[in-house]
Amino acid sequence: MVFALVLSMLLINAAEAANIKVGIVLPLTGEQAKFGEIEKRSFQMAAEEINAKGGVNGNKLELLFEDDTGKPDVGRSAVEKLISREKVPVLTGAYSSSVTAAITAVAQQFKVPFLVTTGSADEVTEKKYDYVFRINPPASEYPSAVISFLQDVVKPRTAVILFENSLFGQSSSKSFEADCNKMGIKVLTKEGYNKGAVDFKPLLTKVKAQNPDLVYMVSYVMDAALLMRQAKELNFNPKVYIGGGAGFTLPEFQKNAGPAAEYVYSATLWVESVPYPGAMDYFKRYRAKYKEDTEYHGAEAYASLYVVADALKRAKSITPKDVRDALAATNMMTAFGPVKFVSYGKKTQQNKLPTFMVQWQKGSLETVWPKEVAKKKYVFPVPEWSKRK
Amino acid sequence: MDVFLQTLVAGVLKGGLYALIGIGMTLIMGVMGIINLAHGQLMMVAMYITYILHVAGVDPYISLFVAMPALFLLGCVIQRYLLNPLLKVETILPENQVLMTVGIGMVLTEVVRFIFKSDYKSVSTDYSNATFFLGNISFSVALTISFLIAIAFTVAMFFFLIKTDIGRSIRATAQDKDAAVLMGVNTGRITIVTFGLGSALVAAAGSLLAPVFYVFPDIGGPFTARAFIITILGGLGSTVGAIFGGVTLGLAESFGATYISMDYENIIGMTIFVLVLLFLPGGFKRLTKV
Repeated sequence: MVFALVLSMLLINAAEAANIKVGIVLPLTGEQAKFGEIEKRSFQMAAEEINAKGGVNGNKLELLFEDDTGKPDVGRSAVEKLISREKVPVLTGAYSSSVTAAITAVAQQFKVPFLVTTGSADEVTEKKYDYVFRINPPASEYPSAVISFLQDVVKPRTAVILFENSLFGQSSSKSFEADCNKMGIKVLTKEGYNKGAVDFKPLLTKVKAQNPDLVYMVSYVMDAALLMRQAKELNFNPKVYIGGGAGFTLPEFQKNAGPAAEYVYSATLWVESVPYPGAMDYFKRYRAKYKEDTEYHGAEAYASLYVVADALKRAKSITPKDVRDALAATNMMTAFGPVKFVSYGKKTQQNKLPTFMVQWQKGSLETVWPKEVAKKKYVFPVPEWSKRK
Repeated sequence: MDVFLQTLVAGVLKGGLYALIGIGMTLIMGVMGIINLAHGQLMMVAMYITYILHVAGVDPYISLFVAMPALFLLGCVIQRYLLNPLLKVETILPENQVLMTVGIGMVLTEVVRFIFKSDYKSVSTDYSNATFFLGNISFSVALTISFLIAIAFTVAMFFFLIKTDIGRSIRATAQDKDAAVLMGVNTGRITIVTFGLGSALVAAAGSLLAPVFYVFPDIGGPFTARAFIITILGGLGSTVGAIFGGVTLGLAESFGATYISMDYENIIGMTIFVLVLLFLPGGFKRLTKV
């Protein structure tokens, strides 16, 4: 009897040892759950594919998801739980910048390698944490395609920057302001708002009176839709509207903004038509599996797990220290683009990627810049609201 | 000048909607002394009802007639089975009804999230983005209609409270519960009806807001906070006060956004809240006397 019990426990232990646990923290409930869901599904899809192909050197990957609910303190305790109770050798995930900033500190403190999937505020990789890596480019680099587009095509003289008052919004708007100064564009107003606002009209009325050439907005999906709808209601016609990442590329943006989404430009990190191997495959398989479209956050998550699996394969042993060293030596191609962690400026272990410009044309999102990857010609000058049908 | 007028218009229109959200809460607070911290969440439920009907092809203004009775019933059930039993229980916390409403709010949010997931839904109609211009000033058609409906509901509520038997009973219960019981008012039933009415009014606000805003499980919280501010600004139990409170908050937010910064929207609301508590503790009710 006792022997049987011991034997069965040994067997269970043996079965467990064959799984490699990967801790993943995402907002699965709360206001950012939409993105958490896209990322979770993409992680699961990647895990199924990796495990079907024999896993990591014969061992299966086991994903342990924790919900941060979009709050830094919840994220902190979730990571502590993953590290102390589940003894995960590696962490990935992390969506919002504020949560990411909080949980990378925990990972560093316990010396568990953490591949940040999204959490894009610059500060995240500027703390000299040697256990923190990031696949997502820093928020300040989102506009690199925008900058060349502005210089080559739009040539604006004045700009207005509106941003949601979060770590991501502040970080992105600050760096875009610096970019404007470099390009000689005068920033007339740079103003934040609290996300979830009902009425942007007073703010838009004020900036309309300043008559800027360019309106640059860092907003999540529904704020983005309301901003555009109300700009249309006010008949506010700058030369171009440009969204700085986040919400402007989601299908919900177009659904909610309707005709007001037309001709709006946005910076994005990834579109399914990018010339990376596996990008289109990922997009199609996601759509077949979940009957919904995915976007760059999903591609990031999908690629993150491939990077983690690759590092685990190369690691000398499955201990946090060895996995960290293997991650640091990463040099691979993913559906999200080439991944290699480099240090430059104040940043350490940061992945560098080019960005793209997209534009809503007749209700679909088209890649228009840079010219090498453009699928459609950009529409510029953009017709005034009142002159459209 | 255009900027000033546009800000004024935006503030007043938004204020009308806020007033409608506030009236329901002020009624419940005035009669039962319960701060209903699930108020915004009830509105969210009404918005989802509007959304479902919209998918089925029903106009939001028609779905008002479905959302209001549905929320009236939900409100009655909450009061009858969840809040009234707490009245009889002796605890160290006299305000445990308030705590209960917080719990109800969370349950509503999570139940809706369970059913609809955390997807953003929109109720887009032909008039969602429609505007008309007076001079250079743009008026949102949907917000203007909702403003008028809000005024109509407030007037109706006012006469209901002054002229009808149930209205008088509600006011009697609000003034002195024990005396009302002695006068033959079934106060238990009145509290149930009042909670139902308050919920129905906020349901109307939800249906009116749906076409101009978006629908999401978590949008209740901020509106609960606003309803609370409006109730205090207006004075407990005062429908006319709620109109003043709502418009004041709407104007304060708009002018703050234009002339200070939209960043301070919440701070401005709270500052007015504190100022009113300090200098006009009874709210605008003290000035209007109704």
